[in-house]
Amino acid sequence: MTTFIDYLLGGFSSGAVIALFALALVLVWRSTRIVNFAQVGQAMFTTFIALAVQQSTGSWFLALLAGLVGGGILGLIVYALVLRPVQRLDTSGSIIATFGVLISLQALASMIWGGEPQSFPPPVANNGLEIAGRIWPISWYDVLVYAVTAVLVVALTLLFTRTSLGLSMRASAFNPEVAKLSGIRVNRMLAFGWALAGVVGAVAGVLVAPTASLSPNSFDILLIFAFTAAVVGGLDSLIGAVAFGIGTGLVLALVTGYGEAGDAPIIVLILLAITLVVRPGGVFGRGKSRAV
Amino acid sequence: MLEVKQLSVSFGAVQALDSVSLVVPRGEVTAVIGANGAGKSTLMRTLAGLVKPQSGSAELDGVQVTGRAPEDIVRSGLALIPEGRSTIPELTVEENLHLGGLWRPSAERKATSAEIYDMFPVLAERRRMRSDTLSGGERQQLAIGRALMCDPTCLLLDEPSLGLAPLIVTQILQLVNQLAREKNLAVLLVEQNAVTALRVATTGIIMNLGTVVRVGTAEEIAADDELRDAYLGS
Repeated sequence: MTTFIDYLLGGFSSGAVIALFALALVLVWRSTRIVNFAQVGQAMFTTFIALAVQQSTGSWFLALLAGLVGGGILGLIVYALVLRPVQRLDTSGSIIATFGVLISLQALASMIWGGEPQSFPPPVANNGLEIAGRIWPISWYDVLVYAVTAVLVVALTLLFTRTSLGLSMRASAFNPEVAKLSGIRVNRMLAFGWALAGVVGAVAGVLVAPTASLSPNSFDILLIFAFTAAVVGGLDSLIGAVAFGIGTGLVLALVTGYGEAGDAPIIVLILLAITLVVRPGGVFGRGKSRAV
Repeated sequence: MLEVKQLSVSFGAVQALDSVSLVVPRGEVTAVIGANGAGKSTLMRTLAGLVKPQSGSAELDGVQVTGRAPEDIVRSGLALIPEGRSTIPELTVEENLHLGGLWRPSAERKATSAEIYDMFPVLAERRRMRSDTLSGGERQQLAIGRALMCDPTCLLLDEPSLGLAPLIVTQILQLVNQLAREKNLAVLLVEQNAVTALRVATTGIIMNLGTVVRVGTAEEIAADDELRDAYLGS
C-alpha cells in the first residue's frame, strides 16, 4: 500500500508540470486554433536563459523572472515572425511551421549552450520529506511546484472569466470578425495569447528542470504527455488540461512503478487514442467537432 | 449622417461595387434593396472596414471612415450587425452584449447595458445563459444590443430578417425604425425582403450588379411595380 501511495505522490509532481505545459497548449489553441508543437522548444530555450541568469546572479527568483519575461517575448516573436505570416495561408501549414520552430530552437540552443545535459539547482530542498519516521517521495520543491501550478490555474481562470481582457481574448478566438466589429483589437489579443502561453510554458520549464536535467531535447517527451492531456481535456478547457495533466502524471508513475518505464509513453498514447475514438471532442470539450 | 461617395470594390476581375454614392440621414431608416449579388453585403462590409475599397470614400458626420481598421471604425460610431447569426454561441448573453463596449469605460458600459436590458427584457432574464439557448429573434435582439453597446451614431443592418418568422421580422424592423427615431441614428438596412424593409424605411435605394439604379422615397419605390419586376424578381 505504501508503495502505491509513493507512486501516486511521485506522479503528482510530474503531473503538475505536464499540466502546465498542457495549459500553455490550451492557451495557444484558444487564441489562434493552432496546436503549438514548438511550445516545449520555447520553454526549453527560456529555461536555458533562466539557467544563465541563475548562474550569473545565483538567484533562483531572478532566474524565474528572466524565464517569465523571456518566455513571453519568445512567444510573441514566434507568433509575429512565423505564425502570423503562415496562418494567412492555411491552418495545416501553421502546425507544420510550429514543428519548424521547435527544430530551429533546438538547433539554436545546441549551438549556444551545447548538447550536454546541465543541471538546474532547485531553490528549496528536493529531498524526500521525513514524516512519521518514513521518507516520502515528496519534497519541499514538489510543494512549491504544486503551489505555483495552483496559483497559475486560478489566476488564468479569473483572467478569462472575470476580466474584460479575458472576454476580449475569448471572443477573438471564437469569432474574430464579430470581435473586430465590436471594437476589439483582435491581432493584439491573439499575440497576447501566445505571449501568455510562452510565460506559462517558461514556468513549466523552470519548474521541471531541477527534477531532471536541461538539454535541448530534454522536454520533448513532455510534449507528448502535455499534448495528450490537452486533447483529452478538450483543448479549450483550462480545467481539463490541468485535470488530465495530473492524471497523465499519475498513469505514468503507476505504469513505471509496476511495469517497465519504457512502456509508459505507449500506455499514454493508447489512452489518447481511446479518448479520441470515444469522445472526439475531449472529455471536457463540448459541442462541435474540430479540425486538428 | 453617413455619406458614401463613389465607392468601388472589386474582387479580382469581379466588380462588386461600381462607384456607389448614397446618403444615410440621421433619425431615419434607409433601405438598400436588390437581388442576390447586387453588392449589398459588400457595401456593408466595406463601410465597416472588413473589405478594402479600390476608390471612393465614406464619411460619418464629416469624418472619413474608409481606409481605417474595423475596430477603429466601430469606435468612431459606425456599427455593423453582420448577416446571419452574429452572436457568439460559446459566450453567455451578458458576455455577448458587453463585448460591444469593452473598450469603453466600465461605468458607461454598465449604464448602456442597463438601458439595453430595459429595451429587451428577455435578454435580462437570460443574461447568464449561453447565447445559443436563445431563439432566432432573441439572438437578433442580442446582436442589435451588442451594436448599441458601442454608442453608435450609425447602424448598419445586413439582412436582419434572414431565417426569422415573418411576425418576428416585422417586430425587429419596427424596433429598428423606433431606434432610428428615438436615438437619432443613421440606419442603413440591407434587405432582400423588399416589401417589409420599405415599410419601415423613409428612403429606398435599389442596387443591381454593384451600382445604385434608383433612389426614391420608400412609398414611391414600393408602389412602382415595374421597378420591382425588373430588379427584385418578385
